[in-house]
Amino acid sequence: MAELAFNDSVRPVARPQVPFGAWGLRVAALTYLVALVAVPIIVIVIAGFREGLGVFWASVTRPAALSALWLTIWTAGLMTLFNIVMGTMTAYVLVSYKFPGKRILDAMIDLPFAIPTLVTGVMLVLLYGPQTAIGELFESRFGSRLLFAPPGIILALLLICYPFVIRAVQPVLAQLDVSQQEAASTIGASQWTIFRRVILPAIRPAILTGGLLSFARALGEFGSIVIVSGNIPMQTQTAAVYIYGQVEAGNPAAASGVSVVLLAIALLVTLMVDLIQQRRRQHA
Amino acid sequence: MQFLRRFSVVSLTLLLLMLVLTACGSAATSGTQAEGSSTQNGHTVKLTLAAYSTPAEAYAKIIPLFKDYWMKEKGVQVEIEESYGGSGSQSKAVEGGLEADVVALSLENDVTRLVNANLITHDWKANDYGGMVTTSYAVIVVRSGNPKDIQDWADLAKDGVEVLTPDPATSGGAQWNVMAAYGAADRGHVEGFSSGEDFLRALYTNVSIMDKDARTSITNYETGIGDAAITYENEYFAGKASGADYEAIYPSSTILIENPVAVVDVYSDKHGTTEVAQAFVDFLYRPEAQAAFTEIGYRPPVNVTTGEQAAVDESKFPAVKDVFTIADYGGWAEVGPKFFGDDGIFTKLIAEIKG
Repeated sequence: MAELAFNDSVRPVARPQVPFGAWGLRVAALTYLVALVAVPIIVIVIAGFREGLGVFWASVTRPAALSALWLTIWTAGLMTLFNIVMGTMTAYVLVSYKFPGKRILDAMIDLPFAIPTLVTGVMLVLLYGPQTAIGELFESRFGSRLLFAPPGIILALLLICYPFVIRAVQPVLAQLDVSQQEAASTIGASQWTIFRRVILPAIRPAILTGGLLSFARALGEFGSIVIVSGNIPMQTQTAAVYIYGQVEAGNPAAASGVSVVLLAIALLVTLMVDLIQQRRRQHA
Repeated sequence: MQFLRRFSVVSLTLLLLMLVLTACGSAATSGTQAEGSSTQNGHTVKLTLAAYSTPAEAYAKIIPLFKDYWMKEKGVQVEIEESYGGSGSQSKAVEGGLEADVVALSLENDVTRLVNANLITHDWKANDYGGMVTTSYAVIVVRSGNPKDIQDWADLAKDGVEVLTPDPATSGGAQWNVMAAYGAADRGHVEGFSSGEDFLRALYTNVSIMDKDARTSITNYETGIGDAAITYENEYFAGKASGADYEAIYPSSTILIENPVAVVDVYSDKHGTTEVAQAFVDFLYRPEAQAAFTEIGYRPPVNVTTGEQAAVDESKFPAVKDVFTIADYGGWAEVGPKFFGDDGIFTKLIAEIKG
């Protein structure tokens, strides 16, 4: 891996003449990856299929499991759309404008990664729960609860996945060649046209990467969701919480079946991220 | 290049260190476990108690009493290591290798798990109280002043009443709640509902939040969510003690909740602590230990041969007209699969209401 990156770089470096270094690195990196990521994933997949394809299929097509998977996918999807729009905007603001408190804001963006998600859930209940003014207002306006209902799930996911798009787009925006924007401006393009025709094509891969990563992260979110979702099977129970319920109820086959589906989706998403990044590298 | 080499040396060293540490770690833990709790060197013996969290306060009072008692009896200093958590997770931890000598859990099923794992091989229910050390009732808590005028089970099924009760899939407490409501109706004590299932259907239509455990559920209720919550009487007392502003409503019929305690003999034999572990369990039935339990809101256990329960102060523990037990429905071994299994009565019912 490391070597690949070296070959990619501009300097036409000769292969490093340090066999121990090169092999040592490879062994270390691979062992680390296999021990921490590959083996646990394989174990889960094996557990999912241990009792045969029939049991696997029955456990993931159970109505409660299907509805949990579907709820997870659509709430994560909707959150990703929000996150793409708002995240790109935030990144643009952070890169293009100067304003007081900008550095503090910039530092705060990563905070959601650091807050225990259980705490995120509790914060949301205290702030937006049905007993609060905001919760009551939402319920009277929309006839549905904010928390203990799908909007609450999306809200929690938005908070948890907040940094992904911003942090993917920000560095690309910062490195953007301003001369193109200036050129577009001199031939009379409006700000919106410049954004759409000049900036957006350049940052699109970064937006997609950030969006997909936040989607993948949202699929497995448990800590905050278990607090804010209400956990009613068929209505507000997400896949991760469903899996937890099956584990607790002593039903490991059903739990690993649904886990395998979540893993497969996450794998697909990360492969897409990889593809996007490879393309970007080729274009560059 | 220099950097590369150095980097790889560092990362290899780290990796090796990790492996060595893991190896050492497991060796060390097994070492201390074998040594720490088994030897009685210097007349000290170590016991590990794994319990669910609610009675922690009572154990804090009982343990020093037991230490004095054992010192007088045997001249041996006992050290008790306490571990508290959810009943289900404690039971799983013990199953997974937390070598507790004694377990005190909230549900018989959690002890049965250890029996099935061949960690408890003796008849742990052999004492006068069937292995149960404390009891409680399933009760309804309502907001101060009872604004929704909830007097009994049937009122929980009224339109516009939101009821909190945890998810029976993840919470043993929630299973007691389901069985309390089911049994009350089944025994003809819920007006307007002729069968347990009918009442459960109406009741759970009013449940829109099922938290993962009893504690979270009652905490949510305390933040102001919902009109009523189903909980244990002892949880109500615990909430009251920490300043929560709600009232308990005693339904006309409810279930007797029984909390088991048992010696995990495979571990205690390994540690050589079976005698003191059993003495600790027996000690919990003495008046001074029982007093610590009633103080935090538990009722005394029921004698299985006479069916009698030690007298309690009725101003604190009101009598309930009709009290039944899980044994009336075949015990947890039968109720578990029948109500909460894949095709269980409750599992189907909830899918039907919410689907």
